[in-house]
Formats: sequence, C-alpha cells, structure tokens
Amino acid sequence: MLLAISCSMFLSSCSEDFLDKPAFGSLSDQVLADEKGVNALLIGTYGALGGTTDYAALGGGGPWEATPSNWIYGDITGGDAHKGSDGGDQPAINTIATYSVDASNGFFNTKWKALYEGVTRANNVLRALAQVEEIGEADRANISGQARFLRGHYYFELKKMYNMVPWVDETTENTNVPNDIDIWPNIEADFKFAYDNLPETQSGVGRANKWAAGAYLGKTYLYMEEYTKAKEVFTEVINSGVTSNGLPYDLVKDFNHNFNAEFENNEESVFAIQMVANDGTNSIGNANTSLMLNYPYNSPFRCCGFYQPTQDLVNAFRTDQSGLPFLNNYNSNPVKSDQGILSSDPFTPDTQSLDPRLDWTVGRRDVPYHDWGYHPGYNWVREQSSGGAYAPKKHIYWQYHADIYADQSSWAPGNAINVNVIRFADVLLLAAEAEAQSGSLPQALEYVNRVRARMADNPEFWLKDYINPAEPLSGFSDEFAANYHISKYPDGSFSSKEFAMDAIMFERRIELAMEGQRFFDLVRWGVAEEVLNNYIQYESQITTDIRGASFNQNDRYFPIPQRQIDLSNTAEGPVLQQNPGY
Amino acid sequence: MKTHLLVLFSFLLFQINVFAQEGDIIVSGNVIDADSGMPVPSANVIEKGTSNGVMTDFDGEFTIEVPANAVLQISYIGYSTTEVPVNGQTELTISFSPEASSLDEVIVVGYGTQRKVDLTGAVSVVDVESMGRQPSPQVAEQLQGQASGVTVTSSGQPGEAPQVRIRGINTFGSSNPLYVVDGVPTHDINYLNPNDIATMQVLKDAGSASIYGARAANGVIIISTKQGRGGLKINYNGSYGTQRVPQGNVYDIASPQEHAELRWKAFQNTNPGVQIVDRQYGSGAQPTLPYYILPGGASQGEIDESLYYVDPFYSDSGALGEFNQIIRANHEGTNWFQEIFSPAPIMNQDFSISQGGEQGNFLFSLSQSDQEGTLINTFFERYTARVNSQFNFSDNFRIGENLAVASSKGNRVSIIGENPINMAYRAQPLIPVYDIAGNFAGTQAPSLGNGGNAVAALERNRNNISKTSRVFGNMFAELDFLQVFTARTSFGGSFFNTNGQIFTFPTYETQENDTFNQLEKNASTGYNWTWSNTLQYQQTFNDLHNVSVLLGTEAYYNEYEEVMAVSQGFYSFDPSYVSLSTGAGTQTNSGFYTEDALFSVFGRLDYTYNERYLLGITIRRDATSRFTNPRHGWFPAVSAGWRISQEDFMDNVNWITELKLRGGYGVMGNQSNVDPANAFTTYGSSRTSSYYDINGSNNSLVEGFQRSRIGNPNASWEKNINSNIGIDANLFMGKLQLTADYYRKDVVDLLYNPELTGTAGVSTVPYVNIAEMSNTGFDLSATTFANITPDLKLNSTLTFTTYNNEIVNIAEGVSYFDQEGRRFNGSAIVRNAVGHSVGQFHGYKIEGFWNSQEEVNAANQTAQTATGDPDAEYQSGIGLGRFRYADIDGDGIITGDDRTFLGDPNPDFTAGLNIELTYKNFDFSMFLYGVYGNDIWNQVKWWNDFYSSFNGAKSSTALYDSWTPTNQNATAPIQETGGSFSTANVPNSYFVEDGSYIRAKNVQLGYSIPNNVLERFGVERLRLYVQAANLFTITNYSGTDPELTGTATAFGIDEGAYPSPRQYLVGINLTL
Repeated sequence: MLLAISCSMFLSSCSEDFLDKPAFGSLSDQVLADEKGVNALLIGTYGALGGTTDYAALGGGGPWEATPSNWIYGDITGGDAHKGSDGGDQPAINTIATYSVDASNGFFNTKWKALYEGVTRANNVLRALAQVEEIGEADRANISGQARFLRGHYYFELKKMYNMVPWVDETTENTNVPNDIDIWPNIEADFKFAYDNLPETQSGVGRANKWAAGAYLGKTYLYMEEYTKAKEVFTEVINSGVTSNGLPYDLVKDFNHNFNAEFENNEESVFAIQMVANDGTNSIGNANTSLMLNYPYNSPFRCCGFYQPTQDLVNAFRTDQSGLPFLNNYNSNPVKSDQGILSSDPFTPDTQSLDPRLDWTVGRRDVPYHDWGYHPGYNWVREQSSGGAYAPKKHIYWQYHADIYADQSSWAPGNAINVNVIRFADVLLLAAEAEAQSGSLPQALEYVNRVRARMADNPEFWLKDYINPAEPLSGFSDEFAANYHISKYPDGSFSSKEFAMDAIMFERRIELAMEGQRFFDLVRWGVAEEVLNNYIQYESQITTDIRGASFNQNDRYFPIPQRQIDLSNTAEGPVLQQNPGY
Repeated sequence: MKTHLLVLFSFLLFQINVFAQEGDIIVSGNVIDADSGMPVPSANVIEKGTSNGVMTDFDGEFTIEVPANAVLQISYIGYSTTEVPVNGQTELTISFSPEASSLDEVIVVGYGTQRKVDLTGAVSVVDVESMGRQPSPQVAEQLQGQASGVTVTSSGQPGEAPQVRIRGINTFGSSNPLYVVDGVPTHDINYLNPNDIATMQVLKDAGSASIYGARAANGVIIISTKQGRGGLKINYNGSYGTQRVPQGNVYDIASPQEHAELRWKAFQNTNPGVQIVDRQYGSGAQPTLPYYILPGGASQGEIDESLYYVDPFYSDSGALGEFNQIIRANHEGTNWFQEIFSPAPIMNQDFSISQGGEQGNFLFSLSQSDQEGTLINTFFERYTARVNSQFNFSDNFRIGENLAVASSKGNRVSIIGENPINMAYRAQPLIPVYDIAGNFAGTQAPSLGNGGNAVAALERNRNNISKTSRVFGNMFAELDFLQVFTARTSFGGSFFNTNGQIFTFPTYETQENDTFNQLEKNASTGYNWTWSNTLQYQQTFNDLHNVSVLLGTEAYYNEYEEVMAVSQGFYSFDPSYVSLSTGAGTQTNSGFYTEDALFSVFGRLDYTYNERYLLGITIRRDATSRFTNPRHGWFPAVSAGWRISQEDFMDNVNWITELKLRGGYGVMGNQSNVDPANAFTTYGSSRTSSYYDINGSNNSLVEGFQRSRIGNPNASWEKNINSNIGIDANLFMGKLQLTADYYRKDVVDLLYNPELTGTAGVSTVPYVNIAEMSNTGFDLSATTFANITPDLKLNSTLTFTTYNNEIVNIAEGVSYFDQEGRRFNGSAIVRNAVGHSVGQFHGYKIEGFWNSQEEVNAANQTAQTATGDPDAEYQSGIGLGRFRYADIDGDGIITGDDRTFLGDPNPDFTAGLNIELTYKNFDFSMFLYGVYGNDIWNQVKWWNDFYSSFNGAKSSTALYDSWTPTNQNATAPIQETGGSFSTANVPNSYFVEDGSYIRAKNVQLGYSIPNNVLERFGVERLRLYVQAANLFTITNYSGTDPELTGTATAFGIDEGAYPSPRQYLVGINLTL
C-alpha cells in the first residue's frame, strides 16, 4: 500500500516491485532439479498410466476414450465385445465397432493425447535427471530405467494403435515431429535399456523392474517378428523372473485372483497399472474411471451397460469331449444364450462342456455373477437387440469387499482392480509363439499347457454354484456352476507349426479375453481381415449393432487423429501423414 | 416536510420585502418540467442582469416584482437555463427542460466531464429513466436495447448475469466491458441498485475509451450514482408482480401411448419382422401401456404394494439393493415442463433520502429485490444500501465519498449445457413425478431411458444457496486552484465475499444413482483497490481557443482467494445438522490464490477552436503484472470534430439546431484474457492425475508432479485498433436527435492459446499474441419529441446496432478451432474459423432424404467411380429415410471436407424501440426489443426428434412427421433404434433454426395523482402504474425462448433454455 502510494507520487521504477507477481501454487523446474524432485516427476509419469484425471481423460475427452485397458480398441474391435448400452449412447464407438471411423473421431485424439502426455512426463524425468548432479549411479540408472520403461510402454500403445507415430524424446526441442519412421527400434531401445539397468526388485510394488522390462522387450520383439531374440529374452524372464516385490514369476492357482484387488500384485503380475479406491479424493479418478460405463445396467452397479461380450467370444469357450477347444468351427455349436428372453421367463443355461475360464470372463444368465447373485439376463442389459445378452466380468468387483475395493463417489462405480498390462500367462503364451515361430514346437506346447494346466489342474478354483442363490454372500457350494471340461493338449500334439500357431492363437483369445489384447493380436498375426469378417457375419445374425460392417486391410491401424494432423500444420503443410485408407 | 414549510415561510417573508419596490409589475408564475409536466421546486428565478431573484416553492410557483420589460432567467441543476421575456405579462407558465434532452448536457467521460457538443468520441448516453422501467434488479439486463452499439443477452433465471457486448466480439476470451462506477473501474455491477444510478454512458470507440488503456478494448461503461440535489427529498419506489411461463406442452412431447407406438415403429424400422420383447409394453403386435413401470411392465394386482420399501435418505450405498420401489405408470403423461415451472412473484422496492446545496449534498438509499424464479427453488434476493456525500469546504475544495454495500443470495442452476431443465424434455411422460409412496419416481423403472426426474433434482437443490456480500466505493478530494486547475484524487475499490454450498443427496430413483451424500462448501474472497490522481487544466483564450489538459496516474491492485471443502457420510441430511464437521466420511479440500496489479499514467488534451473545430488526444501507458516482456504498453488515440451547425453558412438553416461530424482513431488494449501465471512454466500436482499408488496399497497415493503449464514470457496486450466516424444532429428545434456511427475495429496481437500438438503433452498452453479479428458495424440512435396536442406528448427512441465480426487469423497453420461437442463425440457444433464470425455452426448440410434404394445405389455408384474403390459408399450410414448430405466439395463422396457453415448465431442487427406517451396525468410507455438474422442451434431436437438419441421422451414430430416410405415429405428422418452418421450422430443442418424475434420487453401504464390532491398531504409526487414485461414475443423459433446466452465463443445453443417469464406488475413511485 505504501509502496503504491510512493509509486503513484513519484512515478518511479519502484512500480516494478509492485508489479512483480510469481505464479502462485506451483513450482518451477529449478525447484524440482534434485533427486527428490526427479522421483516425484517419475511418480507423475506413473500417474499418467491410468490416462485420466478425475472424470476426464488427460487432455480432455471422456475417461473411457483414453482407457489403458483398451476395452474399446482391443476388445470391441477384436470381436470379443459389443459396445453394449443402446444404439444412441456414445455413438462414436459405433463407428469404431464397425470399422467405419473417420479421422475426426474424438476417441483417437483423446487416446493419442493421453499417451503422449505419458511420453512427455517420462521425457521430463530424463531431462530433469540430467540436471541432477548429486545422485548415486544406481539410483540414476533405476530412475532413468523406469522412465524409459514407461516411455516404452506409452509408445508401445501408440505403435500398435496408430502404427506410424512421431518419436519425441528428451532431446527433442521442437515437438512437431513427422511420423515417417518405424519406431519399433526406439521402443526396443527403451525396453532394452530398462532391462539392462533396472534392479530385480523395487521399493514399491507398482514400479517396473528388470523382469517387467524383459517381458515387454520380448513382446516388442514378437511384434517386430524377431522371434529368436524374443525367445531368448522370454526364456530368461520365465526362468529367472521375479516380481518387483521379489516373488518368482508363476501362474496363480485361482485364475480370478488376476482380477481381484485383494489378491493383486501376486506372482503372475508382471506389470500392472495400480488402481486405488477410496483414496481420499472423493473421486474415482484413480479407480478405473475409464471402465465406469462397463457394469451391467439396472444392476447393483447402477451404470451403464457397456462392454458386453459377444456370442462369438462365448462360443470360443466351448470344449470338446477331450476338454480341448474347437479351433476352427467353434461357432458351429453355440453356447445357449437368453437373447430375447425376459428375465421373468424361464431359462436353462447351456449344459454342454465349457472351458471354466468362460465364467470368470463373461457374466451370463443364471450363472453366479461373483457374489452378486445369478446374472438375471434381460433385466441387466440395456438393449439386447444391439448389445447381446452378456456382461463383462474380469473388472467386476466382489460384493463381500466392495466397501474397500469399490468406490462409490460417482454416478458409476470405480474399483481398485489393477489393469494387467502384462501378466505371466501372457508371457508364457508370447513365449510359446516365439518358440513355435522359431520351430521349437515341444517348448511351445509346454508353455501352452502350463497355461491350460492352471485351469485343468485346479478345479477347486472353477466357478461354483451358490450354497443358497437367495443369499449369494453366504458362499459357494461344491457344485460347479456349469459343465466345465478342460484338459492339456496331449504330448506331441503340436505336430506342425500351423497347428501350434492355431492352438496358441486360440489359447491367447480365451486366456486373455476381455483384457484389451485381441484386436492387436489379430493384426499382428495378419489374420484380422479373415477372422473379423467371419465374426461380423456370425454375430450380425444375433445383434444389430455391427450389421453391415466390414473389415479391410486399412482398418488394421486406427487413423492418425485429424486434429493432430491439423495441429501439425506448418507453412509447408502438415508434418503428420495420415495412415492409408483414411 | 419541515423544510417545505420553512421554504414557504421564508418565501412569504421575501414577498413582503419585494412589495416594497415601486414602478414594477408583479409576475406570478409556475415552473414545470417540460417532459413530465411536474412542478419544479427550488428553481432559481432571477431578473436577468440583476441580483433580484426568488426561488420556486414546492408547487413550482413563484412571484417576483420586475420591470415590465424584464427578462426572467430560470435555472436549476440538471436543467438547461431558460430565459423568458416578461413582456408585461403578470402570469407565466414556464416550461423547463431537463438537460438530458439536449445536446448541451454535460456528460461524464474518462476521468472528467465534457459538454456533449464537444464530444469527439462515440459515446452512447443511456436514458436512465427509460432503462429503469425494466423490472429487473440487474442493471446490465435493463441496458438491453437502450444504447446503440451494445448487445445484451440475458436469460429468465433470476440473478443470472447477462452477457454484455459493446460493438461485437473483440477477443476469444471475455468480451465483458469495463465498468467505471463513480470513477472506480470494476468488472462486476451485479451489486448495483438500478435506482441509485444517475447517469450511464457507454464509451465505444478509441477516442472515448482508450484513456482506459489496457482494459478498454471491450468498451467502457461509465456509471455515476445519484447525488443529493435540491431540497430534502424522500423517494420511495415499489413494485410487485407475478411471473408466468408458457403453458401447455411446450416441447411437443408425445404422449405415453404415442411414445410406445414410436418405440414399436423404431424397432420395426430397424429389425423388420423381428418380434419385440419389451419390459414395459409387452410383446404384442401393438404396445400396451403397463399399470406399473416398476417392476417393469407389471399389471394391476400383480404387485403387492405393501412390500414397498424405499428409504430416500439412505446413507449406506449397499442399502440401494434392498429397496423395493413401486411406481405406477402415468398414462396421461407427466408434463415435466409444467412440473418444474410455475408462476413466481417478483418484488422490488427502494427508498432514498437526499438533499443538496452549496455546502454539499448527501444521498442515502436502501433497496430490496426479491425475485423468485419460475423454475422450482431458483431465486435471487438482494439488499443494497448506499451513502453518497460531498462536503464543499470552500468554493474550491471538496471532499466526498460514494459507498455501496450489497448483500445477495440466490439459488441458480447452470443453464449452459446439460442441466435440470433438459430433463423436462428427456424424462419420459409415462414416468410420474412420485411413486406410490410419494417418493420420487424415475428411470429405476427399466427401459425408460435415463432422463432424470427434474423435480427431484431441483428439490434436492433447495438448500444450495450462495451468498455474496460486497462493499464498493471510493473517497475523493478535489481542489480548484489558480482559476484554471483542478486536482483530484480518488481512492476506491471493492471487497467481496461469496459463500456457497452444494449438498448432494443420494438418489434411488434413477438408473445411474449417486449412492453417496456429500456437502461441498466453497468460499471466495477478494479485494481490489484503484487509486487515481488527476490534474486538470482548462482555459479559454481570446474567446476562441478552449484548451483542456488532463494528466493522471492510476494504480490498481487485485487479489482473490478461494477455498473449497467437501465432507461426506452424513448421519442425517437435516440442513440444520449438515456441516463440514459433521460428516463421517472422506473430507477433502482445495484452495486457490492469485493477485495482479497495474500501474498507469495517462493524459488527455482537448482543444476547441471557436466552438467549431474540436480535437481530442489521449494517451495512456500501462504497466501490468500479467506480462513480463514487455511489461509496458502505450495506448494512444486521436479524435476530431466539426460542428457544422456553428458555421456562418448554416445560419439560415433553421431546422438544424446542431450538426456535428466527428471521427477518431486509436488503440485500446485488453489484458483480461490471460492468466496471471501465463509467463511461467510451472510444475504442479494433482491427486487424480499425477499421484500414483506406487506401493500397491489400493487405498493411498504417493505424491507426484507433472508439468502443469508451459510459459510464454513474451505475451503482451491485445490491441484493438479502432476507427470511428459519426454524426450528431439535433433537428427541428430538438424534435429529432440523431447519433450515428460507423466503426471498424482491427484486433491484432489477439491472445490465443493455440493447442500444441499432442506430442507436447497436455500442460496448459500459454497465450500468445497471434490471432487477429475485425469488427465493423453501424450504431444509430434516434430520439423524437412531439407535442401532438398540448396535453398529449410522444417521445420515442430507437436504437439500432449492427456488428460484423470476422476472424482474420488464429495461429500459424491453424485455420479454426472447434467447440461444443455436446453429444456429437469428436465433432463439434461450433467452428471458429478464419474468414468467419465467432461462434458459427458447422456440420453437414442436409439436402433431403434417401427416398429410394435407386437413389442410394446411384450415389454409391458415383462414389465408387470417383474413388476407384468398389466398396465405397457415398456417405457413411447411407440408408433409406436417412439424411442425404450435400457434397460440398463435389468429389462424389461425403467426407469431413463436406462439412460447411450452417448458421451464424450473431445477429444482423438488434434494435430497441422505446415509446413514451403522456396525456395529462397518464403516461404510457412501451419498449420493444428485436434481434434479426441470428441462427440458433436447437439441440433439444437431438433429444426429441430422433428415437436413437437415448430412450427418453420423444416429440410428436418423431412419431407423426418422420420419414416412412409413404411419408417422404417428412420433417424428421426415419426412426431407428441406433443413431447413424446419416441421422443424428454428427452435427448437421437439421438443428439450425432462425432465431430472430421481436419482444415487448416492457409495457407500462401510469397515472400520477394530480398535484392539487397531493398538496393536502404534503406529497410532491405520487404515481401508480401497471406493467407487463415480456408481454409477447414474435418469432419463428420453435424452442421455448429465442434469447440464449452462452460462452464467449459459443452461444445461441439451446439445450433447454430458462425462458424469460412474462411478468405482470403493479408499482408505485412516491416523492415527499
């Protein structure tokens, strides 16, 4: 005040002090340029894994548009799930589901921005770290290893979605970079660095360790079709790998523990996005916001009836007399569904043999939906005619611990179930592929059977019926919920590379169903066109949502977002080039 | 009263004195106000050239002894001095004109006053009396149509601040003008009692406004509050009335039976031949309305109603599963609009007491505004008090103050985007308001969409009241010295405090229930001060050269802080129990603080030669805390005028009293568009996006940082380069007054925050001075005065405003930015594009329907030929009965490039017409306001005219006037269960309507009780009136109200407007 008076009186340069205002409530990069600051920036880089902030994606858009689970981009597009809900809800997904997107579809821009925010945060860690002098070499290697692991993860997502994407790293000054190179080698380099520099165990279980980097490196090699390199690194990971909290990698006996917050970060969890419920924010922003639409409609979960498994997926769980899947004609003996039958009308579920993983993956009529009671069919589905009869299950929390692991601070629930980026079953199946592709069929068979054996050898963890259906919380009886039958492939049955690959591809589908992998696997295997057009043909007899759709080779990759092409415009035209077919 | 008697008494004494003179005649007369016919008390009546004079009494009467050939000079503050020759008459009626109807009036301009005839800038002088007739407590709302060049858009919601724009849109940020109240700049005038306003001027061009420099670009509105004047006066004004909304089925919603038929129709259209199985309507060939909608589709007698169980105030989220709600269907149909809108009262009253004289003046006023909204539980209530006083210590030294205190509270709903009003057309009419036990009914009943119960939402909103208190004022001192100098200092500002709360109840009646309960409290407080010092010099040389110079400095400081806290888990929802400390659940809080400052020096030179040639030069140098490099900016302006009517060659042109040509050029600045932290690259944290559960705890987070903002240290002012040319004319002896202006504004260095490529991350992008915009336009105001008969007088004022906005440049490589995705994910309704005006609607243009498969095939064939792709379709989702889009780029196939501009929400012109008629003691006034040539995006149609747009309420249009093979001349497309690119999934021209309208904003009929009656009661004036506001609206727009507000760059979008109610009022004006 006095200052102002003297300023007014004398017009002196003291007005400079009067006018100097800092940016309130924030820090500058200098403040963060020490080990503690770099660590906090690294946590911030993990913080982008969920892709969301509160009720929006990082950078705007609905939280589901940036989903790290890829339920839209991997499962709906891969023929494992319908959009669900009704035709008019989230219509942008309709065009994604029917492979008729145009480049202006906002979902792709939202996902792009959220992923590049992750890249940016990783780059900021590396930039800040370079400024820090007082830090031990091991800590430096650990921090830069984690940052590069995370950057590798974000780019891996970008690469499989959009194929040709710009590479921006900590040395990039002008971020308007063309998308004219294949960035697989860059991703490989990031994971390789992380693999070589990260410790085996970490202080926090959510951190990436050496073996997570190894598994991701192997997956990268597989996408690059470098089977020998993939095989080498997978062998090491499978034989020596431990989780960040020091558990040797293995499959958990109870398949459902992979999708249950109470048992997460177990020996099967190679790298997972840590979700939190009731974290004190009064928001589900850290609690799988991106899945908030994906609960059965009109149910105890309230909202919103999206992400309904397809009949085509359900049929894939049909097993033959010897407990093996129908690799080629699985739709010829479809699993019985309650499509078009009111909940009040009688229905008897399918009685033929099924892979027990079905009922840990799909909610179906009159089968226990965890401990919430029988799925009532029609009444829990918003519009059967477009979304089919089924409900998702892998991300559904249990009633008995819902007060801890579910979060009700929004109009739709959140939950603390981690998003599995890579779990050990995925590693085994990827390794099986690498082995099969490089000719070691017995090893491939061994890996596949290890995955099947987890189910086949542990019937105590197959889904059971309730003791009392009226009291689902009172527990499960000894009766299986359906007619389950699963067995390992017989020794020597991987007689040819073709058969081995068919079996591995099928096993991946049912083991990793509804985990966001399917579409990217189909594209990687080069079978997307055939598989998906068959799926459209079959599923269109049942529901209306994808009628008239068709898949062609250009649909293997999503469009570079039109908005990003527009933003890349310079005097010489746009720096980004669109993918073919858009 | 005592004063009046005193005056009378002294007058009698004086009379005795004057009788002592000899040889003169005694003249008695009365002085009346030329406009109102009311007596003018306390006016000075002086024999010209002498000191012989008297003062009129409270009836305006006087008696004076003067020579028979004397000339009487009558003067009074606020009136033009009038001279009347006596010519031997002994009785005179002298009609006396207030200055407001004259070009001689003195008006307040930046940091001073000027005679209106000397103005060289474009200034609209608002007729405060006419403005005050609009029954709104909001000054800005009353301003609508009253000043040329000003566009005001308001809504029917009480307390909602209207959107005010002076000469169009000058920025992508806020286009709100700067208000200067009694010399103190502010951006908020919601606290002002309209009856406290004495004068109001709108400074529209650089010549008049750029002395306000860095804050002038959106125009400046100068408001002076009332000062005591004349004898002790007590005033009371009061009005009371009722507000009404349209009756009937305003959204044209189909009845429950019709809705069911539409559902059948849509299913058949989508899946021909497939049998429908519906939870509510059964599975027959025809739908049957159920008796119960919850349990879905149950029939009478089927349900045991005694098993009903709902605890509407449950606090355990698991309890929801145990509820057994039972809802009977409403076969007649719920009219949701009428359920949430109902007649509501409005009341305004104010009281003031004032007096003025040579030693100073004072005014004290109190006011109360109490307006209930027509929408359930919305209201605005405000109390204000004002003390204005001035003390004249000597002829040349004055000290004064203006101080206003206001306290208001209100309850408002958001009216932009989706809000409770939407639910009035989204909830199906089959759903009743209440279930069988009187709890709310809703979409817990299955298969009835997700339109919420608007009554429930608004009832739950009942206690979400926000309260604001504000003190605004200043102190000033003025010293005249050496005859030609005046020094003035003024220190003023405001302090405010706002408190609000939102209580979220758990819901049980919807599909998407909130199961938590939560109290959110927010409080913000801030203060700012402005200290201005000016020195004015004024001198006339040789009776020819009039020079006036002003120099000044000004410092401004502003700080703002807000805190927010949330508590959950309340044992009871009783408002007397609920507080931040009584919640058992999670507590969260947040806060925000900012400050900014300005320091400025400025000067003005006005020069007049021989009352004919006028020149004005202003310059201001501002330094701001918001910018660092450079921190200072210069804002110059020059303007000139030529009073043609003063020229000798005009002497014989009697019908022209005054004619002036003027023009100006200058630069105004704008800094409000930029965040104070814009210059800095900052890192911050957010619990929901940068924290992470790195330890896998499932319930706690570890702090992490992210880059939150990218800084631009080089940002600077937006510069509004303005040229203006105008004329002022006073014709036919004041019977017609005209002011017309043409302007052009080029806004350069426009601050825009061009979105960076995604590869740069999502940090807040800095504003850079990169864009350009231009506005041209024409403002006209015309006032006529006519005495049709001696008793019948007609005054009318027309204001006419146009603006033509064009975005010239946005950023390198950026030719547009889109807004308002609403339900069109990835496509936006609004495109702000280079070469177009701000806010235009954009999308696919509909050419008609696909009426036959042959048409479809032919179009696909064209597309296949054009693209060489044998699978190509002419347009995505092409199909019978759907929209056929125009191939704008002519490439044979519909792509994103075929989107085009579909409409412009900016009007071609707006106009206000004010007509005042007085006949004896009756007065009548009418104010018409019109907007022409604007388009509206009627998003309501998206919800109601397409069966596919969620399963909510639908319109009759969807059922009866949608495309079928036999009704190809339809309004809406074929009704289907799923949306399509070719129906409602992308913005298209279906939603664009003409929004032109004419509205009778105000019609008033008043009667003033004759003086001879009032005299007995010692009353000076008593007027009674009846009034109707928004009496009628003429428009082709199909929605509830064509007047729609919005954001700075997206407006004119109707997704459920809060219609302006029709108001009927009675009122009283009383002066003692």
